[in-house]
Amino acid sequence: MKKSTVIALCAALSVTAAAVPVSADSDKELVLFTWENMFPQEVLDGFEEETGIKIVYSNFDTDETMYEKLSMAKGGDYDVVIADDYIIENVVQAGLAEKLDQSKLTGFENINPLYQGQFYDPNNEYTVPYGAGIPLIVYDPEMVDIEIKGYADLWDPSLEDSIALVANYRVINGITNLMLGKSMNEEDVESIKETGEKLLELAPNVRLIQDDNTQNALLNGEASVGFLYTSQVTAALAEYPELEVVYPEEGLGFGIMGMFIPSQAPNKEVAYQFMDYILQPEVAAQCTDFIGYYSTNKAADEFVNPDLVVPDSVKKGEIVQNVSAEAEEQYNKNWTEFKAACD
Amino acid sequence: MSRTKTKKHSSSVWMILPLYFFTLVFVAGPLIYMVALSFAQPGSGSAVEWNLTLENYRKILDPVYLQTFRESFQLALTSTVIICILGYPFGYFMAKMSESWKKKAMLLLMLPFWINSLIRLYGWIIILQNRGILNHVLKALGIIDKPLKLLYSYPAIVVGMVYVLLPFMILSVYSSAEKLDWSLVEAARDLGAGKAKAFWTVSFKLTLPGLLSGVILTFIPSMGLFFIADILGGNKIVLVGSLIQEQMTRGSNWPFAAALAVVLMILTSLMIGLYRKITNVKELEGIG
Repeated sequence: MKKSTVIALCAALSVTAAAVPVSADSDKELVLFTWENMFPQEVLDGFEEETGIKIVYSNFDTDETMYEKLSMAKGGDYDVVIADDYIIENVVQAGLAEKLDQSKLTGFENINPLYQGQFYDPNNEYTVPYGAGIPLIVYDPEMVDIEIKGYADLWDPSLEDSIALVANYRVINGITNLMLGKSMNEEDVESIKETGEKLLELAPNVRLIQDDNTQNALLNGEASVGFLYTSQVTAALAEYPELEVVYPEEGLGFGIMGMFIPSQAPNKEVAYQFMDYILQPEVAAQCTDFIGYYSTNKAADEFVNPDLVVPDSVKKGEIVQNVSAEAEEQYNKNWTEFKAACD
Repeated sequence: MSRTKTKKHSSSVWMILPLYFFTLVFVAGPLIYMVALSFAQPGSGSAVEWNLTLENYRKILDPVYLQTFRESFQLALTSTVIICILGYPFGYFMAKMSESWKKKAMLLLMLPFWINSLIRLYGWIIILQNRGILNHVLKALGIIDKPLKLLYSYPAIVVGMVYVLLPFMILSVYSSAEKLDWSLVEAARDLGAGKAKAFWTVSFKLTLPGLLSGVILTFIPSMGLFFIADILGGNKIVLVGSLIQEQMTRGSNWPFAAALAVVLMILTSLMIGLYRKITNVKELEGIG
């Protein structure tokens, strides 16, 4: 009795094992490697229908896992990868990304130049931006007496005890840098100390510092101004559309999710086909609406939820990058001092 | 006494072995790792370079970081004093209740533990927030006309601390008041002591171990309970616990976090040592 069960199980297993290679007709398969829930199902289905290529959606939790797996596969196994800016820098440096043949990508010229030429790919040779996350100022015009145009307005004395901030020490230090006309990634320790002093002056205006669901403070009236991550901005606007969103005049700090083809991708032609498909304005708009990040495709802007389009007036943006250990330490110290001063 | 007994029964050594193994692997191991880590250097990202250095400890002496220890100590002290004032009488009188009431009180005391403390703290947000219950009530009673900013303040943190830790004090005082021999109090009264004097010289002295172990049970955790300051205080007070957490995650400086943890551990051990010395009560043994 037992034995027969085992045999049956083995048989079942071998059948499934045998069933897998059937789809190994590699011309017809695209291995997509990214986080979960990065594409609406219609887009994936649409691609499969249009091209007859089957998509194998493989996901990772963190950028670091992606990098580890990709380097273990020596740049193979996956056809298209989407990951964050800073890890792409490592991927490119390790020679794990393919130099893109732009002639195979119609619509490459539609990419918003704001998101191009960034540190991880200064000549736009390896990546196509997929979406951008931008922390922005959001405020309730009914509760705020001044018009907020940039970071500097957050220091206005009329905003006493009314700002909700995200708890990201590099971003908060970074916007203070931007306001003082410096780079978000300022390295000079003395200059960072000055940033810290300026930051201390913001303390009386801070109502709370929190990383999760910071928008709730704005919605339940605890705070009248918020400096929030993109997903939080979207969530806040969905519930309370009267909120005013500010694209700070000093420049934006953002993060980009980029799409690239690994150097040893098993099926590069298919990978190009997929990228090309995603670059179509309507498809790009569908994706952007789905993930709720900012649109990086100018041609898609007219189709996308208008809240996810950065106005043309915004010309400058910078990404938070790793800095030297000394600079890092000073940023940390600024942050601890700042938080303690908020009480 | 019991030690000689276990020596005789060599077979029981095997029963203890898993415990030893567990302690070594899950208590001593991580502790040793943490202490070693506190002498290392941070690498890029959250990596660690094993060059021995005292730099992490020197950094703690920076006024910015010393301040967090002071802040934590102050908050722990404030909360513990309030908990003593509220918890002692509660536990004491609970022990004097009739059996059936004791059971009911105990049930009410334990009930909140069925819900995760984090969720209960979010409940406090609903009470304290701008458009929250408390402000509504105060407004309806005509005590205030503009909502008070109750949330994200120091008092809000203290309320949260007291709320989370109070049951430990009550239970500790209760268990020691339960064991109190009331005939001793009666004897004191018979011999002419007033109510207050009888309480002070007999009852209080005999329940002191309960109070003190309650103090340890509340003071030590309150040094490390950083999430209350995060949720109810809006992260505006930097406690050692939150500093450690931040250095582990965003700051990616594990060695510094380890050094902070080691110092915190030494401080709390010193406090426990101090209690033992002051009280010299056998019952406190084993709690540290």
